[in-house]
Amino acid sequence: MPLKYRVLTIVGLVLVSLFFLFPRNVTQRVRGADGILRDETVRHVPLQRGLDLKGGTYLALEVDDSKQAIPNDKKADAIERALKTVRSRIEGTGVSEAIVQKEGANRIVVQIPGEEDPQRAQKLVEEQAFLEFKITDKSQALDRALPKLDQVVKQRGLLAKADTSAKPAAQASKGLENLLKGADTSAKKADSAKKGTAVAKKDSANADSLKLQAGGAFSSLLQQGNMPGEFYVETNNIPTLETYLADSAVLAAMPPGKDFIPGTDSTSLANKWYRAYYVVDHNPIITGDYLTDARPNQSPTDGTIVEFQLTNEGGRRFRNETGKHLQDYMAIILDKRVMGRPPIINGTIGTRGQITMGGKGLAEAQDLALVLRAGALPVPLKVVQAQSIGPTLGQDSVDKGFRASLISVLLVVVIMIVYYKFSGMLAVGGLILYVLYTLAALAGFGAALTMPGIAGFVLSIGIAVDANVLIFERIREELDRGKTVRTAIDEGFRHAMPAIVDSNVSTILTAAVLYQYGTGPVKGFAVTLIAGIVASLVTSIFVVRTFYLLWLSRSRGAQTLSI
Amino acid sequence: MPMLRILHDTKYDFIKYWKAAAIGTIGFIVLGLALMLYHKERTGHYLNYSVEFTGGAVVQLQFASAPGPDAVRGAVSNAGFPGSEVTQFGKATDYLIRVPPKTGDASAVNADSVGAQIAATINKQLPNDQAKVVRAESVGARVGSELQTKAITAILISFMVTLIYLAFRFEWRFGVAAIIATAHDILTTMAFLAMMHLEISLTVVAALLTVIGYSLNDTIIIFDRVRENLKKQRKESLRDVLNRSINETLPRSVLTHATVLAATLSLLVFAGEVIRPFSWIMAFGVFTGTFSSIYVAGAILLWIERKWPRSTGTENKGTAKALAEGRRRERPTPVGSR
Repeated sequence: MPLKYRVLTIVGLVLVSLFFLFPRNVTQRVRGADGILRDETVRHVPLQRGLDLKGGTYLALEVDDSKQAIPNDKKADAIERALKTVRSRIEGTGVSEAIVQKEGANRIVVQIPGEEDPQRAQKLVEEQAFLEFKITDKSQALDRALPKLDQVVKQRGLLAKADTSAKPAAQASKGLENLLKGADTSAKKADSAKKGTAVAKKDSANADSLKLQAGGAFSSLLQQGNMPGEFYVETNNIPTLETYLADSAVLAAMPPGKDFIPGTDSTSLANKWYRAYYVVDHNPIITGDYLTDARPNQSPTDGTIVEFQLTNEGGRRFRNETGKHLQDYMAIILDKRVMGRPPIINGTIGTRGQITMGGKGLAEAQDLALVLRAGALPVPLKVVQAQSIGPTLGQDSVDKGFRASLISVLLVVVIMIVYYKFSGMLAVGGLILYVLYTLAALAGFGAALTMPGIAGFVLSIGIAVDANVLIFERIREELDRGKTVRTAIDEGFRHAMPAIVDSNVSTILTAAVLYQYGTGPVKGFAVTLIAGIVASLVTSIFVVRTFYLLWLSRSRGAQTLSI
Repeated sequence: MPMLRILHDTKYDFIKYWKAAAIGTIGFIVLGLALMLYHKERTGHYLNYSVEFTGGAVVQLQFASAPGPDAVRGAVSNAGFPGSEVTQFGKATDYLIRVPPKTGDASAVNADSVGAQIAATINKQLPNDQAKVVRAESVGARVGSELQTKAITAILISFMVTLIYLAFRFEWRFGVAAIIATAHDILTTMAFLAMMHLEISLTVVAALLTVIGYSLNDTIIIFDRVRENLKKQRKESLRDVLNRSINETLPRSVLTHATVLAATLSLLVFAGEVIRPFSWIMAFGVFTGTFSSIYVAGAILLWIERKWPRSTGTENKGTAKALAEGRRRERPTPVGSR
């Protein structure tokens, strides 16, 4: 290749590299301190940083089959559909550069850079968001089933296991009952503040007429609540109750056609915390399938709410069903948990409705609205791997990595110039272009820079000069044999070639294997290594050669070479 | 300007010391294996695996001021995570807490809630040393064993791929010698890991593979010389060819190792705690790679040559000498090259 074209190629490569590395404006949505999303424009070099440098959250999700069995052949399909839901949920949070992708046949990997609240991210993707509206039971179905349930618990020997926790509860049961009733009015007030709809009926009479049989292992855990189908369970007793409810015989003894579901809210009475459980109809009057939109809002009477809208068909059904159940209580159930206290149905409800968030804030309402909009997950997901890195740690790594790179470049430059003098300077010139090309390649392919990636980069600086060293040593050998400068350079490059190619190809192959089998940071390392090797081949073989040719054409008939 | 030369035109008989080298390296590996058994006895694991492989959770906490390790340890077990490993991480204010996986739980323990719980308890118990979670990671037990399999597969596949490439570019003898040298590097690096009790994470596996690549690189440079020198029709035994090739490539080796070591040491000193195990392995890799290129790859090549001379039947083309004779008889045999 004529010298002119060589120089042009190098200049062209430099220009392309500079283009890829030129800082540009990026618009990203950032969640402010108040939890509201805003657009922000940032100007930065388009080099992506991995999660370990930027800080953020990494989650790996799989189908959760602990509660219901899902056949393996259905899993892949379920994951495929879940992927869409998870993606729209994550995108809905407005985090730019978030990655949601499938890994293998049945895993979803979510990377959310800059997410500082990993628990929130986890909740966002794990929430199945299966929304149901069910009518609470007013036929006292559970109360009638209690004797049998107590018996079953005894028979199954579940009692022994949970004996210690159940007993004090049984003893305290009477007193608590009174307390509960005494505190009824205040609890009511607090509740009615939350739900404007739930003021209609006095139902303490209902509770009075029922005497729970204290002493039975199952029934002693329950305190009659304030509305039909509502029971209070002391927070300490919830694990015991859950073990009972997990038993198949207990489940069989539960009233048919009804579900027994915990609520989300806890109430405090006389220094003890209680959680409400609800007996509801098994069949929902409507599900979240008909939902078209959901928005968070603040209401002066109900606090934070999520307003939702149903399709016309959904609205029709909803109107019909609520019409049938006037003066009943309607439980809004999300992922098998009753949201807040079931409101009473005062009139028919059409396409619009609202979910009160209890005492929860706007950010949570925003998230709930988001998951409702994105739709329910076809299967429940569970997190099998999670990682979160604080932004300070990431920045610290960047700083340290940058310093290490700088120092290693300096050391290599010193070694090369001291040892090879003029030729060493040519190699350093090549090294500068090498750094430029590698960074440009990383930016161009959109590869994320990770901490191992930086290490790989620093390392590749050391390795990059290897090709130069091989060539220079060859040139020296040729000079020793009394060849002229021009021939020695030509021969040196030619003879060093096989070794350079073989050694670099084998390293690229190893890096490729790493890329294939690595995850996250390791992949970043492999990419940097490959980019580094290719760039080093280009600079040492082509660029430094051109430098030599340039030098030779300037100083025609050079008798000595400083090497 | 005169050339600055190091170890130029040397005639060291490297191969002569192969016995001492073999004893040295086997001793090193045996010591490493013994230490692994000791670790197994003490901790239940041969090597110090990270949560990525064992499952469980790891939380890195940063304190406003340095608490004592015992205070942190006490707070962690009060938070409901007894049996956790608490170590200082780089600075006196940074702590790493490793929580073992819950038995029989396939899903990941919620690292962030573990972190939040520990931080909350610590902040309650040590009100003067406010802690915040800077990193939290959790891995389910199944994912852990899956990553383990993946790492081993990666190492084996990179073995295969290089063997195939070398067999294609050189000859099977060279390939086998190079692979055995690589296996040696893995063993010595494992021994080194056991001695330093470094944490084995995916990044460390990446470092291991890089060491393999680097060592292979070195071996190839020497073998390339051998290949070239064998072609030069000299009446030399393979042993002499090998020695000469090592000596001829010595200046290059010294210089390249110097630059790589410079890069590695700057990583080790300046790049911080996160990447330190990686840096250690790379630094060690420079030495084991150089060593194995000469004393393992070279020695094995000679041994293969003795065991299976390059002859089939009547033709004796086992050595470079025989090859040269063969060439003289105008029967070019592709020795050392495709």
